[in-house]
Amino acid sequence: MGTGEAWASVDFNSRDPVYLQVVRHFKEQIATGKLQAGQVIPSRRELGTLMKINPNTAQKAYKEMEEQQLIVTEGNSPSRITGDEEVLRAIRSELIGEAVDAFVASVRKVNVPVEELLDLVRSKYTEETNRQPKSDGGGTSGDQS
Amino acid sequence: MVIRVEHVHKRYGLRKVLNGISFTADKGQITCLIGINGAGKSTLLHAVMGLTPIHGGHITIDGEAPGKQVYERIAFVPDHLTMPPGMRISESLRFMEDFYKGWNMARAQELLQFFGLERTERLGNLSKGTTAKFSLMLGLGQDTDYILMDEPFSGIDMFSREKITEVFTSDLIEDRGVLFTTHEIAEMERLMDKAVLLQDGKIIRSFDCEVMRYEEGKSVRDVMREVYQS
Repeated sequence: MGTGEAWASVDFNSRDPVYLQVVRHFKEQIATGKLQAGQVIPSRRELGTLMKINPNTAQKAYKEMEEQQLIVTEGNSPSRITGDEEVLRAIRSELIGEAVDAFVASVRKVNVPVEELLDLVRSKYTEETNRQPKSDGGGTSGDQS
Repeated sequence: MVIRVEHVHKRYGLRKVLNGISFTADKGQITCLIGINGAGKSTLLHAVMGLTPIHGGHITIDGEAPGKQVYERIAFVPDHLTMPPGMRISESLRFMEDFYKGWNMARAQELLQFFGLERTERLGNLSKGTTAKFSLMLGLGQDTDYILMDEPFSGIDMFSREKITEVFTSDLIEDRGVLFTTHEIAEMERLMDKAVLLQDGKIIRSFDCEVMRYEEGKSVRDVMREVYQS
């Protein structure tokens, strides 16, 4: 696992607090398995350089992640991603929940019957997944109903 | 640890350039003075450096008045070349070493490399972008608590701008207080801690950028549009 790749090339928007965008990026990396339980993360200063952000922002992001128990810092040793399974599971459902909420909110305006919508989602989703071969981890897609 | 500007007034003849300005720039933070040309930004920086007299109000740097006694703690990066154009970069480094106790030659070398500056080059031959990097190198090469920069991004090419922006995310800034002026925030939008908006010698808005995004969902640019176009 190259340390650089997980951090570079993040497109920040200018209307959401940068530190929250950093937290979100961490959550995405955790949910997709690019950052793993117990993995050591860069220092605040290193993160500033890697993500091209103000070190104060990195500091604020780490504080927020500590509060959300995403990362743990023991004494003087470097911070790590938590090993708490429950927290890790919660991240995944949080991200999925948010994405679905946003989707529902925007598709509602079009007023589609839910069955038609689900069919569309299913076919689009498989199409997209097939097109991008980099399906790393978390490969459980809608096998209920 | 703070630069404090309180109710500062200044006139050039009958024209009021600074009209009751108050703000603070903290050590360890990046504070940006934003305003169109002629808003009083450069005058304000000169006043903080003690390079121009003020006609009312107070300025303090960690409690001390501006002037020579604080020059080892505060560096100023002007928007033009202040060294003789016939001087070589290597000679300018020696000059700085002779004149500033806090000159950090090791850091200066690091900066030369970071900016890709050629030691043998004569200052007069540098492009505008390279001159800006050179001036910044002279400022950051001093071990100071604060660094003031006058329009570090003005009129220079995109790649130089990106390189200069990188300074703000690196440990070259360390825990210094940065106060810089600009009329165009460009790449600095997401890097500054605090924005101070000037117009006609007055401060019309001043805010913490992350708090603004958090509480009002507005980018610095959004606030600028609101303020300057109403």
